[in-house]
Amino acid sequence: MAAVKPSISPLAIGWCFLKLGATTYGGAASASIGDEVVRRRGWLTYDEFLTFRSIAMIAPGANSPNLSVLLGRHLGGPLGAAAAFFASCVPGVLTILVLGILSLDPKLGLGAALRGIAAAAVGLSFANAIEMTATNRRDFVRLAVVAVTAATVLTLHPPLGLIFAIFVPIAIALNRFRSTASPSSR
Amino acid sequence: MTDLWRLATTFGILSIFSFGGANGALPQLHADVVDRYHWLTSAQFVRFWALGGLVPGPTLTVSGLIGYAVAGFLGAAVAAVAMFVPSGVIVYALGSAWDRVGGNPWRDRIASGFAPVILGLTWAGAATLLRGAIDGVPTAAVAIVVGVLMLATRVNRVLLVFTAGVVGYVWLR
Repeated sequence: MAAVKPSISPLAIGWCFLKLGATTYGGAASASIGDEVVRRRGWLTYDEFLTFRSIAMIAPGANSPNLSVLLGRHLGGPLGAAAAFFASCVPGVLTILVLGILSLDPKLGLGAALRGIAAAAVGLSFANAIEMTATNRRDFVRLAVVAVTAATVLTLHPPLGLIFAIFVPIAIALNRFRSTASPSSR
Repeated sequence: MTDLWRLATTFGILSIFSFGGANGALPQLHADVVDRYHWLTSAQFVRFWALGGLVPGPTLTVSGLIGYAVAGFLGAAVAAVAMFVPSGVIVYALGSAWDRVGGNPWRDRIASGFAPVILGLTWAGAATLLRGAIDGVPTAAVAIVVGVLMLATRVNRVLLVFTAGVVGYVWLR
């Protein structure tokens, strides 16, 4: 049975996501969005939110705008989706343009600051990869797919579409084989 | 016109095929921007990417900055629209489809197939950033300290990145 959909005005949705778009960062954005629309505003349940978050993650593109589109659509139809989408993207694009243009001025010395920030991005990326891998550390089949995918990307540089076309079916088949071989692991 | 068309196709294709968010897009974006079209050097790319993680909103806002570096404000608009709009339309259609086939068990199977591939892309992306950003002991030290702090503490990542920027401003000039 389909859940009853709320109807929130596109203006309210746009304002909510504009504030989120201007104050949330990277991987933490989804959690902040959930906190705002579930806990603070009560626009949907946490289970509904998690469902939309899963769809956003398996869809192509950036996760937080995807999540904004799905939530905006659920809350206010096509106009709600458009309002949430633009409000979640525009503040970040404008901010990065301003900072990027300032960083190109050698007198300001922001190039050196960006070198530090870039080094930090390396540390954060490895920390993120280690953390995500740690939850799979006993799953050797999955780790093998992770390792082969990473090695293939780094050595052969295939197009992204080809990577997914090859490795996603392999991972699905391995999961299916493992489930069939050991039903207790389900 | 050629640059604008290339920006539109590069980011448009990435928008449609970049599963796994920014981490999933990183290796392909680096290959296109640095190796294929030579719009940026690898070091410039990593600095832009890092800025994408620092500003509010998705890391892929970096598309606007890359577009600006290639073709000014029009390039920024073309790249940002091409990056975000196609995937926005696709996910809108997925939301509609979800209402119709919500209970299908293949949804979980497909998601479980994507997960390790996206994780592999995350590792490849980290290695790609490393090659462009680490050019000596000071930058390596910053990366290691930030990585360890991120794993060992609950310190705010934006605060870490800002601090690294201040350290870079003082130490790496």
